[in-house]
Amino acid sequence: MTRRRLAGVAGVVALAAVGFLVWSRWGSNDDRVIRERLEALRTEVNRSTTDGLANVARAASIGSYFTEDVVVDLGEGSAPIRGRLTLMGIAERLQARTAEFRMELDDVTIEMIPGGTTADGTLTASFIRRNATGEESRDAREFGLGLVKAGGTWRIARVTAIDVLR
Amino acid sequence: MSLTRRLVFGSNPRRTAVRVLVLAAVSFVTFRWVLMPIRAEGISMLPTYRSGSLNLVNRLAFVYGTPQRGDIIAIRLAGPHVLYVKRIVALPGERFSMIQGQAYIDGVPLSEPYVRERRPWDVPEVTLTPREYFVIGDNRGMRASDHDFGRVDVTRIVGRVIF
Repeated sequence: MTRRRLAGVAGVVALAAVGFLVWSRWGSNDDRVIRERLEALRTEVNRSTTDGLANVARAASIGSYFTEDVVVDLGEGSAPIRGRLTLMGIAERLQARTAEFRMELDDVTIEMIPGGTTADGTLTASFIRRNATGEESRDAREFGLGLVKAGGTWRIARVTAIDVLR
Repeated sequence: MSLTRRLVFGSNPRRTAVRVLVLAAVSFVTFRWVLMPIRAEGISMLPTYRSGSLNLVNRLAFVYGTPQRGDIIAIRLAGPHVLYVKRIVALPGERFSMIQGQAYIDGVPLSEPYVRERRPWDVPEVTLTPREYFVIGDNRGMRASDHDFGRVDVTRIVGRVIF
């Protein structure tokens, strides 16, 4: 094989690898939209407010990412949170505590269910807290998600904590 | 060829480019699929690993063998970007318990020289399935409620932590 042909083959392989990476990272349109929604939710959770009215608005904004009948199951030791209103109430009450940490979402996987209006997902949510000396501590948990598309908008219908260490 | 160009590209730029590409490809494969770099966060593995220390996970460590007691392993959550780092204290099929900070395997006390401080943790006896390992961090000086430990499925193990 000549050097030129070898370079051509290498180029094709490199292009295929880049194409695979792009395809696997961004996937379908709905997959991308769901990832963007989750990223927007993360940004909203990390937005801190001290103003009472802004706090209510923030809770309402967080609530808009969930369906009305959402169920959040945090696992052993805590009762499931049922309904968007309950979730918004909790977000509002816990604002002072949630402002102390930053949330990160990693390893998001989305699996579209045939029909195109529901999807399942998993992700790792990390809650990072900085202590007085500036040292950060991370509490990470894996969650399973159920998502529903209604009125053209993807919302979270189910959040289930997955116990990796039982 | 000027001295600067010669220093940057070498006497044969084409060969230098090939070398750079090969080096980049080997580094990519090595650090993605063989030796995965991780940064420890938290205090649960003190004094073995300090928060902020850089370590490597050998992802091929258990290709030809099974994890052993005492191995420090990386455990994946939803993916490889956030991992637990814990030490294996009990193997599949064994009974594990902890009484007043002393670990027992099948009723026999386990020697753990890597543990410096002990709080009187109590863990009720559990029998591991053929696919489970029991893992804990080395820092037993913290409260048990602040420490993630327990049974982990073998499919969650990413590799052995080295360095």
